[in-house]
Amino acid sequence: MKFTIQRDVFVQNIQHVSKAISSRATLPILTGIKIVAFDDGITLTGSDSDISIEAFIPAEDGDNSNVDIERPGAVVLQAKYFADIIKKLPESTVELTLNDQMVTKIRSGSSEFNLNGQDPDDFPRLPEVEEGSQFTLKTDLLKALIKQTAFAVSTAETRPILTGIHWGMESEKLMCTATDSHRLAMREAGVEESGDVEFTNVVIPGKSLTELSKILDDSEETVDVTVTDNQVLFKATNLLFLSRLLDGNYPATKNMIPSQSKTNIQVPAKQLMAAIERALLLSDGKNNVVNLKSLNENELEITSVTPEVGKVTESVSCDAFEGEELRISFNGKNIIDALRVIESQDVAIQFTGAMSPFIMRPADRDYMLHLFSPVRTY
Amino acid sequence: MNPIKKLDASLSNKIAAGEVVERPASVVKELVENAVDAGSTKIRIAVAEGGLQSISVLDNGAGIRLDELEAAFSRHATSKIQSDRDLFRIRTLGFRGEALPSIASVSRLTLMTSPDGAEGGKIVLHGGEIQSRTQSPPKQGTEVIVEDLFYNTPARLKYLKTIHTELGHISDSINRFAMAHPEIAFELTHDERTLLKTSGSSKLLQVLQQIYGLQAARGMRRFEAETDDFTIEGYAGSPVDARASRSYLTFVFNGRYVRSIPLAKAVQAGYDQLLPIGKYPICCVHVTLHPLLMDVNVHPSKLEIRLSKEKELQHLLEETIRGVWNKEAVIPSMQEPFSREEPTVSGDNASSSREKAPSGKSEATSFDFFYPSEETSRNGTTEAVRETIRSQPETQDIPERRAAAASPDRSSAEVQEEPAVSRVPELHVIGQFHGTYILAQNDDGFFMIDQHAAQERINFEYFLDKLSSPSREMQDLLVPITMELSGSDAAFIDENKEVLAEAGLVLEHFGGPVYRIRSCPVWFPEGMEKETAEELMMELKQHQDLRLERVREDAAAMMACKAAVKANHHLQNRDMEGLIREWSSCRQPFTCPHGRPVMIHYSVYEIEKMFKRVMN
Repeated sequence: MKFTIQRDVFVQNIQHVSKAISSRATLPILTGIKIVAFDDGITLTGSDSDISIEAFIPAEDGDNSNVDIERPGAVVLQAKYFADIIKKLPESTVELTLNDQMVTKIRSGSSEFNLNGQDPDDFPRLPEVEEGSQFTLKTDLLKALIKQTAFAVSTAETRPILTGIHWGMESEKLMCTATDSHRLAMREAGVEESGDVEFTNVVIPGKSLTELSKILDDSEETVDVTVTDNQVLFKATNLLFLSRLLDGNYPATKNMIPSQSKTNIQVPAKQLMAAIERALLLSDGKNNVVNLKSLNENELEITSVTPEVGKVTESVSCDAFEGEELRISFNGKNIIDALRVIESQDVAIQFTGAMSPFIMRPADRDYMLHLFSPVRTY
Repeated sequence: MNPIKKLDASLSNKIAAGEVVERPASVVKELVENAVDAGSTKIRIAVAEGGLQSISVLDNGAGIRLDELEAAFSRHATSKIQSDRDLFRIRTLGFRGEALPSIASVSRLTLMTSPDGAEGGKIVLHGGEIQSRTQSPPKQGTEVIVEDLFYNTPARLKYLKTIHTELGHISDSINRFAMAHPEIAFELTHDERTLLKTSGSSKLLQVLQQIYGLQAARGMRRFEAETDDFTIEGYAGSPVDARASRSYLTFVFNGRYVRSIPLAKAVQAGYDQLLPIGKYPICCVHVTLHPLLMDVNVHPSKLEIRLSKEKELQHLLEETIRGVWNKEAVIPSMQEPFSREEPTVSGDNASSSREKAPSGKSEATSFDFFYPSEETSRNGTTEAVRETIRSQPETQDIPERRAAAASPDRSSAEVQEEPAVSRVPELHVIGQFHGTYILAQNDDGFFMIDQHAAQERINFEYFLDKLSSPSREMQDLLVPITMELSGSDAAFIDENKEVLAEAGLVLEHFGGPVYRIRSCPVWFPEGMEKETAEELMMELKQHQDLRLERVREDAAAMMACKAAVKANHHLQNRDMEGLIREWSSCRQPFTCPHGRPVMIHYSVYEIEKMFKRVMN
């Protein structure tokens, strides 16, 4: 194997692939990046038990020449050394030469490294994604779906299924749901090119989707998604992203959402967020309990008390108010997390009394819904 | 089939011996109990070859009336109780009337006694059969010599352990007697070697020093407390000297050493987090109570008792011991790893720890057994003995390491009255070692502080305050947490649903063994809801009432550890000073929530000694 490559392109792709490499891999070879040179380009592969990423660097990309391949071949190089070396090399191009003993010579300008490699045949093959449910998503939509749900997954490993985002597809509508059992985020998206695909109980690790969203190139138009029993594959032009699915049954979330409401309000998102943020200043990062009270038809009072610190009172004017008087407590931080991903100016909140979960959604859209469980006093 | 008949006396004595006389140590125990019950002030025990060759117990007690000598060896004959009523008001150590005949039936036994110092009698028995009955020198008290133990029960002989083990048991037994009766002078010798010698000065601390060594005795703190039913007093060893076995706990009920796991737990609870997991303090507790409150007649060995109002006693003990250590500075000093021996209660080690005591002392405490005529009763200690005791260096005079530390004599009540000043000396940071320990100094010497442990302690107290603040808020769960419970647990939960709901934990039955947590208190740490809920239930189950503090303590310890700076984290001087300042104001700064020490101290003296600047 011998090729010369543009360093910036190489660095970027190595960084993408590195997202799938864990330094604590159970299989030692998985701490490495697999590099394969073909006649028409180079693939880089990284994998851990959860995700596998394969990036392809084409020899010619439009008018640009990325790689000049002299001899095809393959090797696995330790990611932690290799990535840093390439990043720090002096020149804009890098030459890699593999000898018979799996030693890879890395040369750039005045600098030369000889890195011991491992046999590429020892690197586990990426799981074959057999025929599964296949559909296509716009890249920006996919990123929005991830952003608007991934924040709500549970970080506790005690209930692994809740660390994932549930995807379900029904009549050309993709529904993404995430909950940590204190709050729930739901986002619906129409999928035109779904080709009659329907599935349910596909739970993708939240971390996988967050990583995917980081490396997806905005210039890409669409991403092909293939869902199988235990894997999901995202395929962009030069990128394969494969993630394990979480085992187990995702809780039935549909019936958690109250169908009726007793109090409906509409408030400007920014003011609400600012008021809650200030109310949380005293809670010292713990508890985060915020109390909300309706003062009159167009004013809400937000308070928070931390006995050893003090008390804060905020008032927020609301655009619309209908229904019963209200007095409720909730985790303010969860509300802020949701407000951050709601892009609309106003939010509509529907309460069903102080003891029941309440719904918040953008006032002008109905594809997004956030559900919060209140905090009660006993 | 043979006809049913009543067994003859010698056979039934042998059967009884199977229960009472298990090993040489049981013989020693029974004989010493008799000596103590006889009101002796001096008891000397001499054993040869781990007690297998001979055991001799000499006392200066009341003796046996010569006309009762034979009767003493018939079964169920005793002077200690007279009627049914007495069985429930036992104030003596023995009462069953089984020991002497049982021992006699499995050995060659010689007994010499004089009840009044004027006339003496001697009786010799082999295998329970009287061989001779003669006169002996008139010496106040009784001497029992047991030789060739188990010579006629080879099966029992076969199962005895090594001489060393048997001696260990004997030594342990005598140590407990000495602790139970500091007013009696005990002397234990094995093959002419002295293993233990106490002065009989009624000073428990002196006895503890003889048994556990000077170092341990120095760290001990006296405590005492009283309720309507119980009076407790004793000494609690420093957590620094904690041992890996419960056998360093001695409970004495009305002068009787007993084993008690519930009380051992109470002591441990009193030490809170001062003790690492699996470590037990050295501790000697004397409990005085009305004999009606305890039942000794549980097992022939009389090592276990049944106790009325045990919970009350447990609580009293726990709180008293907590009071002792709550105001104490517990800083391990570096001297120990070098000079520390592990004195155990078993024979040889006990003697080696004893040798650590100032050598002049054991001489001073020596007394002579063979001038018994001056002695009359337990209360009439001879002038000579009093003199020697007075001339001894008082253990209480051992210079205290820290001026702030309370003197060992101070009662817990006094200790509690002290103003709550910081118990951590003022420290000046020198630097950091391996990114893990903070090095500091002051006039007293050199200190090392485990930064992770210190931080953990700060966090722990912070989280504990946080958790114990009475916010009565609970979070409903959108997705209930399921847990499977065993049948008995499930029944328990069903029964206590209201109590748990009162604490903010709402459970519902979901079918089969599965229960669901619908709501949990806001203070439950995230991601640990299930564990904390389980802990809550365990707590309720164990103690029948919900002391949330305890559950919170465990939860706080978990959170504290996660949030603390880890080892190998480099800190600026300013950060270190801040950390130490914050840590000093903790309520219990000396250990991390898991009981490991936070700070280690080298005194200037110790360092100079290591550099041979001082030579002693």
